[in-house]
Amino acid sequence: MDLNLIKKIVRIVDTSEITDLEVEENGLRIKVAKKIRSYRQDGQQHVIIGQHTVPEQPAVRNVVEEISAAAIDTQANLHEIKSPIVGTFYRAPAPDADAYVNMGDTVSTGSVLCIIEAMKLMNEIESDVSGKIVKILVENGRPVEYNQPLFLIQSS
Amino acid sequence: MFNKILIANRGEIALRIIRTCKELGIKTVAVYSEADKDSLHVTFADEAVCIGPPQSKESYLKIPSIISAAHITGSDAIHPGYGFLAENANFSEICAESNIKFIGPSPGMIRAMGDKSFAKETMKKNGVPVIPGSDGIVNDVEEGKRISEEIGFPVIIKASAGGGGKGMRMAWSMNEFENAFQTARVEAEAGFGNADVYIEKFIENPRHVEIQVLGDMHGNAYYYGERDCSVQRRHQKLIEESPSPVLDEKLREKMGEAAILGVKAVNYEGAGTVEFLVDKHKNFYFMEMNTRIQVEHPVTEWVYGVDLVRQQVLVAAGEYVETLPSSPNGHSIEFRINAEDPEFNFRPSPGKILSLHCPGGFGVRVDTHIYDSYSIPPYYDSLVAKLIVWGQNRNHALARGRRALEEFVIEGIKTTIPFHLKVLEDRRFLSGNFDTGFLDTFEFK
Repeated sequence: MDLNLIKKIVRIVDTSEITDLEVEENGLRIKVAKKIRSYRQDGQQHVIIGQHTVPEQPAVRNVVEEISAAAIDTQANLHEIKSPIVGTFYRAPAPDADAYVNMGDTVSTGSVLCIIEAMKLMNEIESDVSGKIVKILVENGRPVEYNQPLFLIQSS
Repeated sequence: MFNKILIANRGEIALRIIRTCKELGIKTVAVYSEADKDSLHVTFADEAVCIGPPQSKESYLKIPSIISAAHITGSDAIHPGYGFLAENANFSEICAESNIKFIGPSPGMIRAMGDKSFAKETMKKNGVPVIPGSDGIVNDVEEGKRISEEIGFPVIIKASAGGGGKGMRMAWSMNEFENAFQTARVEAEAGFGNADVYIEKFIENPRHVEIQVLGDMHGNAYYYGERDCSVQRRHQKLIEESPSPVLDEKLREKMGEAAILGVKAVNYEGAGTVEFLVDKHKNFYFMEMNTRIQVEHPVTEWVYGVDLVRQQVLVAAGEYVETLPSSPNGHSIEFRINAEDPEFNFRPSPGKILSLHCPGGFGVRVDTHIYDSYSIPPYYDSLVAKLIVWGQNRNHALARGRRALEEFVIEGIKTTIPFHLKVLEDRRFLSGNFDTGFLDTFEFK
């Protein structure tokens, strides 16, 4: 990942009147957008776009880190498994049993990845793609809400 | 007292409930659909759980999602607000089975009052005047014709499981009866899955006057005066006020005591509203009872100095009602501001708020969930704000209402503010001399 390229893009957007800029290259897509706020004064509509000065270095670095993190997610063939219900996330069918899946495991469409318990009912959550488990996003026993990301699978 | 309350609702009422919980030192949990991610009630609650996609059926009406959200957050009570699951007896029951206190009446009470013809029977048995009509469900046309002959035309045929103006048909004479009867049954079946209908005498040009009641778990029941909600469009209330221009002290007492009789008969717990129709001779007839807090509760709060949501939470926790009723102080009017275009038949106008200024000053209250640059989602009802004013008497309240509406700026969407300003020019409304037929002949230009 070329951080210098990203820094350049952020600077271009920040120091110009461009509000949105999207760049795609080699399966990596980056989007940088300015926050737009508006207010009324003296009966006129005014608009503030971003800020007038280039931000301090630390702010740029934060933005760059955020974009890098986002960039990982927009990489091609990384698939998010999201929770279809509200409940409690469990890695295994029972407290003393083995986890359904671990990091690095290969799964196929329909493999059970975890259980989400809701109102005393255990709901098995199946994968909708085949591939490799790249990241497990929730700790065992933690509550999850609707559409909360649970797993990242690199689909094959 | 409860430790944590989950609010099973959205919009202005969710915010309203959160405010009172905070004042009571109770932690709050908001639930929200994906469309309400940026909603104010989500921001102000201590915790928030996303429970589903935008459609109400998949989120705010989905009982398992809400109970699950209560479990994972450790909430010990749920406040259902109004609409959605507020009068769903099943939900009240499931809360009880899940060891969560439902802030409202028990499933039995909801079922008793939710069955319109049963509610009427109960009231009648307890000496509350009811609208002359059939003794419960009418099963066939011949029976219907006989009853109509007895009570006299015009009659209205109503779905027993119904509400909101659906499954209702009028018959002005015997000729019209058979057709009206059959059509009402078909509509009732389609709308509520239950074709049962009952018949009532149609009271011409009545006023809609409702009594606010509050019952605790110790057998006490109180009434906090009345609200006049006669300004309605298609059975949807638009302006409400307390006290009613047509009630005097004596009539208020008669209606209040009648309401209490009915409420005590079912050992009612929580806040509720007993709705009456008042005819031009000041006879009042029981219409129905709503077993929830209502949209227009703020006008009662002002005139009686009571926080009704606070009382709901207190009685649900087993405490006694804190603020006892007194004589009404002054006059309060509520204007419902909807995201609708009154120039085009009130068609919905969702969209982004570009500029917002809420009126303020003495005697002005705005209950709203909107803010500058908020986008109103198209999936839910169109109520965006309630403007409630108080004055020492009705004229003061009217003048203040006009001033506050003129000060209210909501840009980016169409609202009913211009409509309310027009109503405030109408001589009938200003005189207090109007009934539920008022808007039928009101011209908005």
